[in-house]
Amino acid sequence: MSLLDILLVAIRVAFAAFVPLCFIAVCVWMERRGAGFFQDRAGPNRANIFGFRAAGLVQNLADGAKLFFKEDVISDHIQHKFYFVIAPLIVFFTAVVSFAVVPFADTLVLNGKSYIMQGIPIDIGILWFLALAGFGVYGIILAGWSSTNKYGLLGSLRSTAQVISYEIPMGLAIVSLLVVYGTVNLNGMAQFQGQLLFGFIPMWGIILQPVGFLIFVIAAFAETNRTPFDLAEGESEIVAGFHVEYSAMKFAIFFMGEYIAMFASSAIIVTLYFGGYQIPFLSTDTLITYAKPVAFLLMLGLPAGMYFFAGWIRKNNVSHYPRKNDPRVYEGNIYIKGFWGLVILLELILFAILLCKSGGAAAHIFVVLLQICTFLMKVTMMIFVYIWVRWTLPRFRYDQLQKIGWQVLLPAALLNIFITSAFVVALS
Amino acid sequence: MSAKVKTLERKGSSLAEKIYFVEIFKGMATTFGHFWRNLLDNSNLYVRHYPEVEPEIPVRWRGRHRLTSHEDGTVKCVACFMCQTNCPAECISIEAGERLDDKAEKMPVKFNIDLLECIYCGYCVEACPLDAIRMDTGIYSVTDNNRESFVLGLEELLQTPGAFSEEEYKKGGA
Amino acid sequence: MAEMIKLFVNGNEVEVEAGKNLIDAIGAVGIEIPHLCYHPALGADGNCRMCLVGLEEGGPPLVPACKTPAAEGMKVLLDADHIKKIQHDVLEFQLINHPVDCPVCDQAGECSLQDYYMTYDGQKSRMTVPQVTKSKKMDFGCGVVHDQERCVLCGRCVRFCRQITRTGELGIVNRTDTARVAIFPGRPLDNRYAVNVVDLCPVGAMTSADFRFKQRVWFMKKERGVCHGCSRGCNITIDHNREKDQDDLIYRFRPLFNEQVNGYFICDEGRLSYRDENENRLTEARLSKTTISLDRAVTASLKEFKRAEGIVILISPDCSLEQMVSIKSLAEELGAPLSGFSDGYIKKGDGDDYLIQDDKAANRAGLTALNIDSSQSAFEEALAKAGLLINFNNDLSLFYDESSLKKLFKEKRVIGVTSRDTKLFQMANLVIPVASFTEYSGSIINCDNILQTFNRAITKNDAPLDMSEVAALLGGPLKTNGDRYDKLKKIVVSLNDFNPDTIPATGLKLT
Repeated sequence: MSLLDILLVAIRVAFAAFVPLCFIAVCVWMERRGAGFFQDRAGPNRANIFGFRAAGLVQNLADGAKLFFKEDVISDHIQHKFYFVIAPLIVFFTAVVSFAVVPFADTLVLNGKSYIMQGIPIDIGILWFLALAGFGVYGIILAGWSSTNKYGLLGSLRSTAQVISYEIPMGLAIVSLLVVYGTVNLNGMAQFQGQLLFGFIPMWGIILQPVGFLIFVIAAFAETNRTPFDLAEGESEIVAGFHVEYSAMKFAIFFMGEYIAMFASSAIIVTLYFGGYQIPFLSTDTLITYAKPVAFLLMLGLPAGMYFFAGWIRKNNVSHYPRKNDPRVYEGNIYIKGFWGLVILLELILFAILLCKSGGAAAHIFVVLLQICTFLMKVTMMIFVYIWVRWTLPRFRYDQLQKIGWQVLLPAALLNIFITSAFVVALS
Repeated sequence: MSAKVKTLERKGSSLAEKIYFVEIFKGMATTFGHFWRNLLDNSNLYVRHYPEVEPEIPVRWRGRHRLTSHEDGTVKCVACFMCQTNCPAECISIEAGERLDDKAEKMPVKFNIDLLECIYCGYCVEACPLDAIRMDTGIYSVTDNNRESFVLGLEELLQTPGAFSEEEYKKGGA
Repeated sequence: MAEMIKLFVNGNEVEVEAGKNLIDAIGAVGIEIPHLCYHPALGADGNCRMCLVGLEEGGPPLVPACKTPAAEGMKVLLDADHIKKIQHDVLEFQLINHPVDCPVCDQAGECSLQDYYMTYDGQKSRMTVPQVTKSKKMDFGCGVVHDQERCVLCGRCVRFCRQITRTGELGIVNRTDTARVAIFPGRPLDNRYAVNVVDLCPVGAMTSADFRFKQRVWFMKKERGVCHGCSRGCNITIDHNREKDQDDLIYRFRPLFNEQVNGYFICDEGRLSYRDENENRLTEARLSKTTISLDRAVTASLKEFKRAEGIVILISPDCSLEQMVSIKSLAEELGAPLSGFSDGYIKKGDGDDYLIQDDKAANRAGLTALNIDSSQSAFEEALAKAGLLINFNNDLSLFYDESSLKKLFKEKRVIGVTSRDTKLFQMANLVIPVASFTEYSGSIINCDNILQTFNRAITKNDAPLDMSEVAALLGGPLKTNGDRYDKLKKIVVSLNDFNPDTIPATGLKLT
């Protein structure tokens, strides 16, 4: 193994491990500010460090610090303290690991050697995800049971029944997808989606499998315990459900686990249905060939985008009440300067690519970076959809939840498999 | 004063509504409209920038309590215990004593309101036959570091002035 | 059972006792006729006119119910319009000069005038001329405070002083709106039953200086009790309340009607004896001045028993029969002589011919019934031989002065089982707190050999044990109330036919 090999392994493992963690902050921030804007509020925007609020991101630091220093209570009535402590870790760990099989860029070819761009280089892909998503619920069940609390137990029972019900349509939706893609390898799926249908439509999963997509998304919402399927928490009837007895960092780990699960399942949805890291109309080969024009276009586009972004900051980063020497204007100006600096740095990098040999290693790395950005952008959008749905739809009633799972999604998924299979057989 | 009644059409019977998805997307479009508008321009949010911008307290607002006094400064309260009897939170505790200033026979020697127990329902004000207790101080923020300081005594209750003039208070419907 | 007659009220047939007036007869079946001046103990006066009722046939159309004996076939009208108008008009007259200061009046909540106004009147005052003002807060002596403005001149207090105490301090002077209840100049109320006028007064004109402004009556819970002030055992209502963050305190004793024992009244000393229940109570066990837990106190007592060269047990004549029998069995178990010596409880010449007794011990008859020796010589002899005295709440200081007590206790160990923290028990080596008579259930026999039972009325925040439970802890064989009662039945033959719950509330005359 050369040094490059080790470096690339380190990079991809680090990416698979730390990007979800970093996205916790992004998710929480999006959730809270987004909820504010959905409801015509501001959301948390006061916490600051020397007056810098980073659009509310500092609030996450404050919350984290608070949870970290809070007293970690384990009530005396909890008999199985080991299970009680291990439960949030299960939820957290399975969520992190389930992301490990998702490819965040196409295979990188350097010096004639291929490097796979996913945390764990295995081919079982989607099966890994299904297994771990199912396993994550053990944490919730264990938490509810070991809490020795009726609300906790009710919450975990709901969660169990819900996951069992929704894993079936989810699995069936994937089956029809597998029929289409002909592989379980997620990278293979992403590569498949780089093709064009009839020569002008990206061959994304959502185009080929619209019904399957809806079923999968609904099931994924249920699997991650997000509204409208967050009956396991059900504040109004069972207080907080499975994590009612948890406090401080143990609660925080549950909380983070939930957001990582959301990130991982967004990543899976993107990979299965939105072309993964693929940029529409620009397959990996095309990109490598036309790396320089793309870089040039980006060089033009970045300052233009930044210009509008600066205008937006200037307009919105102000105090909306009479205030002398508004510090937020000053704050906003510093942000703008910082972002312009970033843009200049990127311009320099892009310029360097323009100077390099076309089709060489630099072009390959540039394409990988581009695809990573595309992938993360798509995932962020999917996370936004999660948040968007949460602040739009009310929670289902429990019988409605089961009814949708068994009486609507299951038959629809089965029907989808038959129709898809018929099509695939007819076309081949 | 009669409440405005708006009769809403009952939904959920047509096929499109039963399928859910159409309605869900409609709802999501609505919420996204709000999100997008506020993202582009956050100056129209329905928020008060407390504590920099303080709320305007209307006359009928039930703030922290106070005990009123006669013009010569003596307490109006005659310790009839009507407020204590009515209090659903049992936050008032009074001790009555002999009164010697000819205003009445009886007066409170102790009058404690535990603000941690008070639910600000205003029943004490309603019950008072002598307009001796009011919630017109306009104080809406009651904070401190220890529990003891939330128990208001007779002196404190008497010394807090009302936030409104007598005419305004009477006009407020009290 | 008295003879029953049938009569009609508002056209409905009711069966009532014969030989009573209409108020009592009809009131006994639950139909109330409003009245202010009539009181069953004082007889009819007929001055308030509130009780006017109509008779449909025979006799005058309107009669005062208090002066009309119930008769067979009588047709009494209560809800006719003209009767209602009379009640309304009488109340309007009563209220012309009434100050309506219910918020500061102690009677509010148990005031007849207030209740009748709400039931029968409910109108606003039509008076346009200023009200007649009269004296307020007059000290009538004996802890009675009079407010002339609130007075409805029913004369109950005046009649009480004339008929019951026969002291006649009160009278109604002047006429019409200058009429008022007054004392003779320089001669305040001076009798030992004076505060009963406060209970008798249907309105707030008579208030008790002791209870004044202490509590509003609707806050207080009311329990039945038996006064332990003397061997009469008057029935009382215990008015108590647990205020926020405080202990369950008694605010007053009021007489409770019991024809056999005390009638409608109690004496003033008995009425004020509630203070002893609140104040100066022993709350924690003490071993030579240091506070210890009850468990440790019991262990220490058992150690004392072993060490002592002869034990003598002294029992209070205030104890209930159950406690006495428990302690008696404890004494038998320990082989110790038991004495009920309590000559100090007898105050010669203090009693009168009405309620107050010479003997201030509540249950001396119980001592006799249980064959507990209470002679001075036996007690002193036994004590001289013994090294340890267990004193179950017997107040020896009533008989011995301090120096003779010291002499008596010289070189003796003393264990006090008591509810009060008095000087006598501060001399004891070990004290164990027990419940006082409002805090336990029991039965006592009064001076007329009437057995009365009473239930626990007060539950203190940290409720001390009943004395019989302490006796059981110290090794007494009777552990439950059932055991105690069985043993009691064996000793007192006349109790054989009765269970504790079959003893009537009004008391059982023992033969």
